[in-house]
Amino acid sequence: MMLEGIGNAFTLDLVRSGIRLATPIILAALGGAICNRAGVLDLALEGKVLMGAFIAILATYYTHLGLSAVMANPGAFQGIAAALYPQRTVIGVIFAAIAGGLLGAVFAFLYLRYDVNLVILAIAINLFIAEMTVFFMRIFLGDVGSWSDPSIEQLPDIPIPGIDGLPVLGPILSGHNAIVYLSWLMSIVIYFILFHTKFGRHIRAVGENRQAAETVGINVARVQFFALVLAGMLAAVGGAFLSVGHLSLFTRNMSAGRGWIAVTAALFALNHPIGVLGAGLFFGFADAIAIRLQTTAGIAGSLVQFLPNVATLLALIIVAARSHVAEALARRMFRARAEREIAEATLPTAAQQPSSGD
Amino acid sequence: MNVETRQRIENNLIVPVLAILSGLLLAAIFVAMTQRQPVEAYRTMFEAGFGCQAYERCNFFTTLQFATPMILTGLSAVVAFRSGLFSLGQEGQLLLGGLMAAWLGFAIHLPPIIHPTVAIVAAMIVGGVYGWFPGMLKVRLGVNEIISTIVLNNIAFLFVNYMINFPLRADASTTAATPRIDETARLMKFAPHTDWGLGFVMALIAAVLVYVYLWRSAPGYEQRMAGQSPLFARFGGIHNRRASVRGMFISGTLGGLAGAIEVLGVHGRMLQGFSSGLGFDGLTAAILGQVHPVGTVVVSIFFAGLRYGAQLGLQMPPMKIPRELGGGIIALMILFVAAPQLYRPLIARIDKWLHALGAERGSDATQESA
Repeated sequence: MMLEGIGNAFTLDLVRSGIRLATPIILAALGGAICNRAGVLDLALEGKVLMGAFIAILATYYTHLGLSAVMANPGAFQGIAAALYPQRTVIGVIFAAIAGGLLGAVFAFLYLRYDVNLVILAIAINLFIAEMTVFFMRIFLGDVGSWSDPSIEQLPDIPIPGIDGLPVLGPILSGHNAIVYLSWLMSIVIYFILFHTKFGRHIRAVGENRQAAETVGINVARVQFFALVLAGMLAAVGGAFLSVGHLSLFTRNMSAGRGWIAVTAALFALNHPIGVLGAGLFFGFADAIAIRLQTTAGIAGSLVQFLPNVATLLALIIVAARSHVAEALARRMFRARAEREIAEATLPTAAQQPSSGD
Repeated sequence: MNVETRQRIENNLIVPVLAILSGLLLAAIFVAMTQRQPVEAYRTMFEAGFGCQAYERCNFFTTLQFATPMILTGLSAVVAFRSGLFSLGQEGQLLLGGLMAAWLGFAIHLPPIIHPTVAIVAAMIVGGVYGWFPGMLKVRLGVNEIISTIVLNNIAFLFVNYMINFPLRADASTTAATPRIDETARLMKFAPHTDWGLGFVMALIAAVLVYVYLWRSAPGYEQRMAGQSPLFARFGGIHNRRASVRGMFISGTLGGLAGAIEVLGVHGRMLQGFSSGLGFDGLTAAILGQVHPVGTVVVSIFFAGLRYGAQLGLQMPPMKIPRELGGGIIALMILFVAAPQLYRPLIARIDKWLHALGAERGSDATQESA
């Protein structure tokens, strides 16, 4: 049924839902990729996504309360508040990004200043956020398992002027909200930073060989700080997409493993930003197809979700095997050359006699 | 106990104890946000988690039941870490071990004692293989074990989800689950109204065995050396790779055992949402327990008590503090134990103080003997 054509409403719906499911994964995975490039493994993506989802909806709600209060009293700020009010969801997303950046900064500070083990730190932060978002939801918003408020509006969908009218591409690419476009844009921006700027070269150098980078005078701490803060912001915006972009509610453990999928997606893409875009879409479409198969045909949807995970495992093995084989080959070649050179140096006459070879 | 042993125990105790205290102290802020007295709240929590009113109605038994899988996944982490591999694969091992035990629990019919034994052994083998695989990838190809175990956890989760939703699904109820296991396969329970039972004893035995293996046997020594100082081990003629992979296999069997006990002793079947992060819980217990079996057992019981106490004591009136505080406190403790450098000045002072105390006691002893 998927071969009937892309104009088919059914398939179109599937593609759009794949793009939506991919968005938080792409954003978090971009953060993961830039951290991996800078030599810091960021396993706290799951917590950062969840925190972003929570802060975004909380900030949107409190912005609504604050601005409504200002608007109720006539005064100098009434006009400003009224102008800002329609943008309250955007303000919520910005707060989420700031909070994610701050968390990344704390993470980086503890790592760089106190040499805390990043994996343990990440496990602690993930647990803390998973528990405390529910804690705060209960004490701030009431004793419930999920929360929403009529005042909370989703981020508006924005049609892209030139593309919107196109027959096939229009319905697929246009009419998403700002975070979806941001995820695409950031893939390109980070690609550009990593591969076409001096700072990007420094990031990659730190990840490849920290000591060497330090020796040539690169500020390793600054590079890793930047990577962790940026990863925090990206993952948090990805989380904001879940609570105020895709839906308009927060539920406990809303990230539901997307941060871990993002870790996997970054690795699958070999930490290449454009690859991350592809890997994120791959995971997103697998999810979309899985959900669709479950609801329409009753076929095992989770089998489809296996595909990207198994592919990642294979990618890990192949990459490791390739460097393993390359190293073994280089070693053998080095030994062969060394042996030949030694033989030439010590026994110049013996090397010429074919009978002396064994 | 000689001076050296005491010194070692003290050194291993200072950081975790300080981390626990710091965690409780920092979490008091969150208690205060709910307009409750932190001291009062903590007393209620500890009384609820570790108290025991009567044999029939004993919270502590339930705490021990909650601690059981944590102890085993914690031991799994201990064995893996001590072979130098930072395995995060406990979750996957637990899920697959649980699924295997659940399947054998209802699919085959055997007499009591034999039935759970078969299910447990099979679950341990499945878990062991799932631990061996990333270990093998690490030593053969250099695949980062942190990353491969995360991916393997994803795969195990999806696989179990698939199995309990489709091939092994019992009925069309809202929560997907396998059929219930035979009565013959169930593990004995010690007290009514709790699921505290034989599994806890198995966990304790496992802890003793892990200690004996790692610190009192030659293969365990090899494994620890391969983890601590690979070059030294190689120089001493130890097969590092074999030792590390063996460690990962044993680690996996413990994770599988945890899953089997949860199925045979507690739930009686495999169901959706079976593990709410039990793998990571064990990992955190192992870290706060100084990657030692004794520490892991103690910390697991402590963590289980905190969580259960928060659920039973804090959430109920009159406190009405969300139970998630328990997990939050645990997270803070892990945060602090990961940063022992924060305490360096404090530790130096405690050390000095203990030293003075030890010297005093030492001089007393010499005077007595003289």
